Amino acid sequence: MIAANFWSLIKKYDFSFFVIIAAIFMVGILNLHSATHSSHSQAAVNLYQTQILLFGFSIFAGMLISFIRPSTMARFSWPIYWINIGLLLLVLLLGMKGMGAKRWIVMGPFRLQPSEIMKISLILALARFFTSKRYFSELNLKNLIMPAFFALFPALLIIMQPDLGTGLVILLIFFMVVFYVGLKWKTIMILGIIGLISGLGMYQFGLKGYQKKRITAFLNPGMEPKGLGYNAIQSKIAIGSGKLFGKGFKKSTQASLNYLPENHTDFVFSIFNEEHGFFGSLLLIGLYLVLFFRFLWLAQSVTDVYDSIVVIGVMSVFFWHTLVNMGMVTGLLPIVGLPLPLMSYGGSSLLTFGICAGMATSISNSRNIF
Amino acid sequence: MLYTENSVKDYKPRAMVIGNIVALSFAVILGRLWYLQIYNGEKFFRYSLANSLRKENIKAPRGLVFSRNNKLLIHNVPRFDAIIIPQYLSNRKTSLKKLAKIIDMPVEAIEKTLRKRSSQPRYMSVIIKKNITKKEVAIMETENFKIPGVSVRQFIGREYPDKEIGAHLLGYISEINDKQIPRLRKKFGHKYRPGDHIGQAGIEEILDLHLRGEDGQQIVEVDALGRARRYVSTDNLFKGIINRSFKRGDNLRLTIDKDLQKTAYDSLEGKVGSAVAVNVETGEILVMVSRPSFDPSQFGRGITRKYWNSLITNENNPLLDRNIQEHYSPGSTFKTITALAGLEEGLIDEKTEINCKGHIKFGTRKFHCWKKNGHGKVNIYKAIKESCDIYFYKLAQILDVDVLAKYANMLGLGMKTGISLPREIPGLIPTKKWKKEYTGESWQRGETLSVAIGQSFVLATPLQLVMSYAALANGGKVLRPYYLKDIFNNAGEIVEKTSPKIIRELSFKPKTLKILKKALFSAVNEKKGTAYWFRGRGIKMAGKTGTSQVVRLSSDKIYTKCEEMEYKFRHHGMFVSYAPADDPKIAVSVVVEHGCHGSTAAAPVARDIITHYMKKYHSDIRAKIIAEEKILAQRNKKQ
Repeated sequence: MIAANFWSLIKKYDFSFFVIIAAIFMVGILNLHSATHSSHSQAAVNLYQTQILLFGFSIFAGMLISFIRPSTMARFSWPIYWINIGLLLLVLLLGMKGMGAKRWIVMGPFRLQPSEIMKISLILALARFFTSKRYFSELNLKNLIMPAFFALFPALLIIMQPDLGTGLVILLIFFMVVFYVGLKWKTIMILGIIGLISGLGMYQFGLKGYQKKRITAFLNPGMEPKGLGYNAIQSKIAIGSGKLFGKGFKKSTQASLNYLPENHTDFVFSIFNEEHGFFGSLLLIGLYLVLFFRFLWLAQSVTDVYDSIVVIGVMSVFFWHTLVNMGMVTGLLPIVGLPLPLMSYGGSSLLTFGICAGMATSISNSRNIF
Repeated sequence: MLYTENSVKDYKPRAMVIGNIVALSFAVILGRLWYLQIYNGEKFFRYSLANSLRKENIKAPRGLVFSRNNKLLIHNVPRFDAIIIPQYLSNRKTSLKKLAKIIDMPVEAIEKTLRKRSSQPRYMSVIIKKNITKKEVAIMETENFKIPGVSVRQFIGREYPDKEIGAHLLGYISEINDKQIPRLRKKFGHKYRPGDHIGQAGIEEILDLHLRGEDGQQIVEVDALGRARRYVSTDNLFKGIINRSFKRGDNLRLTIDKDLQKTAYDSLEGKVGSAVAVNVETGEILVMVSRPSFDPSQFGRGITRKYWNSLITNENNPLLDRNIQEHYSPGSTFKTITALAGLEEGLIDEKTEINCKGHIKFGTRKFHCWKKNGHGKVNIYKAIKESCDIYFYKLAQILDVDVLAKYANMLGLGMKTGISLPREIPGLIPTKKWKKEYTGESWQRGETLSVAIGQSFVLATPLQLVMSYAALANGGKVLRPYYLKDIFNNAGEIVEKTSPKIIRELSFKPKTLKILKKALFSAVNEKKGTAYWFRGRGIKMAGKTGTSQVVRLSSDKIYTKCEEMEYKFRHHGMFVSYAPADDPKIAVSVVVEHGCHGSTAAAPVARDIITHYMKKYHSDIRAKIIAEEKILAQRNKKQ
């Protein structure tokens, strides 16, 4: 009886998200190994093993999440959001006491990074807000104030940590969601013009040169202006030198001589391009597109609006990370320090992506399992 | 419109738009990749093959340090190293052989150096020989093309023209070590990096942030031999690269007089000790030397093992600044402070007279005067002039040690002077409470007697002593000593200026100061005064000699001649003085370790400094000094 149930469950379970993610991860782990195999420290050489463990853990967490019904998620959206805000405040407070930046809370063997979870909490809160009675379906400037606050407040807290990259992602996720629920084109234009004028005005007249420098330096000490700086150049050389088919697996010269710093985190895409060329990137980007359109298709095939918004939010987490990271290493965007999903080394971002996949799976399954 | 139940289908148009945005975004990324990999791929491929782009750090020259008269105390000189970049050693054997011949160094030694650094990336240079000669540089530059992987690298050396003179004050620089990086980053908020040179002692350490400037950075393309070829900003592929130029460190102007430093240092020749001179009115330090000393130029680029060993095995510790990092029993120089306490508290006055028979008994212990047969009748003037111990023993019997400590503390003894130099020590002025806390025992009244003549627990640094005498000389202003006149940038603009700082203003009875000054004057200028034979010609010095006992002597040895004792048991000689006695300008404190007497060992050093100072800065007195010197010279000729 139980066995029969189990098999019917397996048959109905939507594995597509985990499969696509695992496929990208496979590419990622090979690339990570290639990027670090010639490193001078043994710890760096062994990074890929740690990464496999972290991925296993993240997939496991995602699978568990996939058994939580979307209605349960909806019920707990607000508590999760506010607890997360509380944790962000706590991190900021602890960070002020100690010296320097602090992004996590230590809980036994785990380091909880509230800014990572905030990406998910925000999606849940926004989805809940836009399906509640408080919301008028016409999304004009006035109706935008409340949801904007839900996004701006945590974004500000995260930027103050300081972690500009994650703060920006929070805002980008917010824009994607409000766009989906119907932010008027007119409002978008008005907002865009206001933002542009006030931003330019502030930068041009409101701030002195050293203040500008100081602000950018404070917000992100590692940031270098677009197109300038050593990392950006080395990244461009790595990518460009890959040409059409690349130099081949483990043949990256930029990485092997340690020219490119951070080649296992933010700059993995450069190494991938150097070794596999334009053709390799075409395939990799293809894989990412499959993932994004799988999300989009799911968002349109559910019946519940809450579910639909959550799926779009989850998609935007993957999408923005991928786009900003690729833009950054190819020299199109300033270097703000965001990981490439499933390719960059790092446990907390893997966990976020695992949970996101689990949520989408749960929503997909709710159509025919629950 | 009020809240209505929306259906997912209503969102379809927006989902379509999002789909288009996603597709378009990655079309842009692919376009960019096409531009980099296909359109410019060949060019980037070449760059990557040669690994030819280097980020080079351009070290900012450290600021220069000048004396009060704008003479150089620390400056920068170009020096050259022979280096090897292992990545470019295409023909290892021949390259090493050729290099070995040019720099006169066995091939095995070069191999050994290379092996030591084999764990670092191959594109990083290895220094084979430091400070190569100009001739070696010339040969290497011309032969360079035939020996791939080998080249010359220029660096800026830090030079101290006066070498050992004043080395403790100036300090030295050396490469930052791994432990210092996190500590100093936190302390100064400056991003110190491995390979940085930082001040490790003295002014170089304290004012490191002012002196170091900001390093620049440039990106250069190098050829297959590792030599910089051109700046990549000329290639339009990297249009917009900004090479950050360095910013020179700020320069310092000290209050130190270079010539006086030399006079003081030479005067201490063959002695272990120190001399410090300050401006009585401002607290400006004019002279600050300590012997034995070290050559700070040796530290900058990795000190040789031999030199380092010679420093640390020297039992006189040449790295120690005896002016602030060592304290001594002030001996009789402390009697001035005891007298001050007695006079101010009304325990003694001008008329108080005692009879010195060479010793007194207090309790069961016998206290001796330095003069075996005694001084006979002694008043305050004679007590200071001839340094009679019995007078102060008697005063100590009615003077509470805590009251004495109060006066010593007022003058800055027993606490740091606050000079901006590392590792200053506070000395010690004992109180009853202090003794109870540190030894657990109560104060013995007999101990007050020893304290009154500056022995037993009392400890003071030479700088503290000179500041306390300066305060007496200037009428009660306790000043914070300083050595920095101003900091100026390379445009000559003054960035920071130091002004004199009064820590405390004391108001003593005018009578008290008058008595003390008269007594200190007679100690130098009247017959039988302890420093009479070392008075300067043509100058009116006032001062007090002191002898600091190194070991407590048993009663049968008290009157053994100091010079006949084993060197390490001999007393330290000290002399603290100011001049001119009637209008004090300069105060000087001198210590000579194991010099036996303040008079013979220390006073001549102070006299030399003061004479030179007066000649240089006070023309009216200079004439007098020169006249006196002429008379003396003639007299010597006749004899």
